[in-house]
Amino acid sequence: MDFTLSNEQRAWQMTARKFAEEEIRPISLERDEIDDPRDTFDWEIIKKGSKLGFRTLAVPKEWGGHGTDFVTQALVMAELAKADSAISKTFSQCWKWSHLIAAACSEEQKRRFLNPFLEDDTFLLGKGISEPSAGSDNRLPPDDPKAGLKLKAERRGHEWVLNGEKCFIANASVGKLFFIDARTDPNAPLRQGTTMFLVPRDTPGLRIGKVFNKSGWRFYQNGEMIFENARVPHANVVGAVNGSDMKTHAAGDRTGGDLFGDLELAANALGVCDDACAMALTLAHTKTQGGRPLFEQQLIQLKLNRMHLLTEALRSFVMRVAWEHDHKVRSANAGLCMNFSTDVIQEVTELNLDLHAGAGILDRRADKLVRDAIIWSHLAGDSVQRMKATRRLGK
Amino acid sequence: MYNLHLSPEQLQIRDTVREFVAQEIKPLALRAERLEPQARPLLVEALDKASQIGLRMLALPEERGGAGADNLTCCIVTEELAVGDPDIAAVLAQTSTLAHALFDRLMTEGQRARFLPAFLAEQRYHLALAEHEPDRDTALGMNYHRPQASDARFATAALRSGDSWIINGRKDRVVGASLAALFAVRASVGENGAGTLLVPRDTPGLTITHPDMSARWHHGGCGALTFEDCRVPAENLLTAALFADAGRNIPLDQALNLGIGRAACEAALDYAQLRVQGGRPIIEHQAIGAKLAEIAIRIEVARAAIWQAAWASDHPDAFTDRSLSDLPLTAIAAVFASEAIYRAVKDAAECFGAMGVMRDMPLQKYVHDARICLHSGAGNSETKLRIAEALASYRRPPGAAALAAE
Repeated sequence: MDFTLSNEQRAWQMTARKFAEEEIRPISLERDEIDDPRDTFDWEIIKKGSKLGFRTLAVPKEWGGHGTDFVTQALVMAELAKADSAISKTFSQCWKWSHLIAAACSEEQKRRFLNPFLEDDTFLLGKGISEPSAGSDNRLPPDDPKAGLKLKAERRGHEWVLNGEKCFIANASVGKLFFIDARTDPNAPLRQGTTMFLVPRDTPGLRIGKVFNKSGWRFYQNGEMIFENARVPHANVVGAVNGSDMKTHAAGDRTGGDLFGDLELAANALGVCDDACAMALTLAHTKTQGGRPLFEQQLIQLKLNRMHLLTEALRSFVMRVAWEHDHKVRSANAGLCMNFSTDVIQEVTELNLDLHAGAGILDRRADKLVRDAIIWSHLAGDSVQRMKATRRLGK
Repeated sequence: MYNLHLSPEQLQIRDTVREFVAQEIKPLALRAERLEPQARPLLVEALDKASQIGLRMLALPEERGGAGADNLTCCIVTEELAVGDPDIAAVLAQTSTLAHALFDRLMTEGQRARFLPAFLAEQRYHLALAEHEPDRDTALGMNYHRPQASDARFATAALRSGDSWIINGRKDRVVGASLAALFAVRASVGENGAGTLLVPRDTPGLTITHPDMSARWHHGGCGALTFEDCRVPAENLLTAALFADAGRNIPLDQALNLGIGRAACEAALDYAQLRVQGGRPIIEHQAIGAKLAEIAIRIEVARAAIWQAAWASDHPDAFTDRSLSDLPLTAIAAVFASEAIYRAVKDAAECFGAMGVMRDMPLQKYVHDARICLHSGAGNSETKLRIAEALASYRRPPGAAALAAE
């Protein structure tokens, strides 16, 4: 076993660390505390990060991207998340789907969509699956054709006409291109009756509704997308009609998982844990009681111990999954790691808040980390995500 | 004799308050704009209505003009109010408790004559306790099981000047600061230790502020007080200790915490019966069913611990006749309930999927409110150390002990 990073991996990690500390951290809390969810976003940080390569990190070199491996991607996500989890996610959301453009789109589609994406520092990507009455049913679809997403796409000559509504869609209010899942066969179960479309933001008949006002991840824009006779050319179908499960198959994953998405949440959680550990350790060494550092107290040491052992266990798991992805090892580990990251990020950030509150300090950043961590319950560690990971075992 | 029956009066007042919360508080408290943790002004009109049905004077004995409810009843009422709004519950619990302590036990006839009539007459006459001070190190922490006491003397000091006390200092985390008419201020008095001064809201030299983090991290319209040569008459001093033993206090904070847990539990149970995924209401899925069961278990066991502590505070003889363990039962209930309810509320929010984190929905507020309870007061690590000292019957040497008991 060799845990050494290559020079290239180390270089990306250092660039990310510097950018995160110098550019992201100074704005992190300020963006988080803006009341209107539409106003938390900041284009300047996106442009700066894009120029350093953090928007296009995952696009293969032959298509003009940086072609980094999964290990590098995990390192960069964690470094960015250490300064701000939601800003890290906004960048990696683009990798998630630039994986897909590179892997699943036709040559003609790559020319139409990948080049503009590479050239424009403000070109963000999104993907629309969730709907008001279809969350879990998209993740663990029952056989009943009535279950799952309802957004309807009907063929009209060379076009498809989309009608329906998506909610909680990442980057909805700021993205320029979306991968949209729509039902193309209402009589088939979800997996057999759904098609993925490339939908540019300026598609006639598409409008963005509200931006959701979340308690955590406030920089990250989750919005409504409303389709009213939205017209999309047939040339924008990704892969085959009624074959929407492209993100896993095209990316080479045969485990039924989400090759990048699971790693993404776990790596992001790792960065948040690193930040919480650093905060707690600094507090323990600088804050005193009766003239002595808190660090000298047993209960403080035991809490710091718990935070660090969980964080280091998560780091091992995250890097192993990234390595397995790079070596195309088939396993359920990515899902398990994502589930585990939920437990770890919440316990570690809660211990950090507890240490601060116990020292009489109501720390706004400690509070923010806990609020960001709660997001994992609803994304990475709910029962559905755990059962989904379990079902990959033994396959 | 083991009896968990509530009296007909207790059942009746619980039903009355539950109905009141459903009709008068929930419709206001659950408005989307009020669910954001950073902007939560007190619902003063609903508070006034609660005062009209006597909840401000719940614990004050009947002969003094109140309802004379015992501690368990007060806890039951606080839980019900907190199901609707923890801020209202906190303000009323504090006013009612202080009214009992001040007007019935601690004031002299003369003091009572000066303050009680206005308290009885004015619906918005609330009472507040100013105890906590910024940056004062009161933690047991490294002094656990050691003879040294924490620095328990108050930095806020009252010095005698003729017929007056002149107060200087700062207090924070004062529940009800935004509307209290009379503050009971804990301070170092003269040369010989701690006392409590009665300071009316409009006293010159008293400034009331509402620091952002303080308001966000405490229930009940919390604020800070600054005293600058604030002068009150000499006869505003109370010399008797305010509350005897913190570990056996009336578990009102815990009852409030319980109300937050119940609100989340009720919301999750309703939603789980409505929301359909996988072809059936989600409560019919094992994963959600077991989660709801765990929520119910945590809340029921927390209530048992809280009610035991409440009943014990009504029946101190149950300690001496060996019916109850000779332990700080309120401290025990506080640690258990705050951890169990935080977990229960997070689980309840998870049942809502993404809607569990939306600020215009109540679940994220319940999570925040339960987190406040987890970190309010001394904190659970600190409380555990105090319980541990009690387990070992540890007593500080005289002098140190007197300060630690304050």
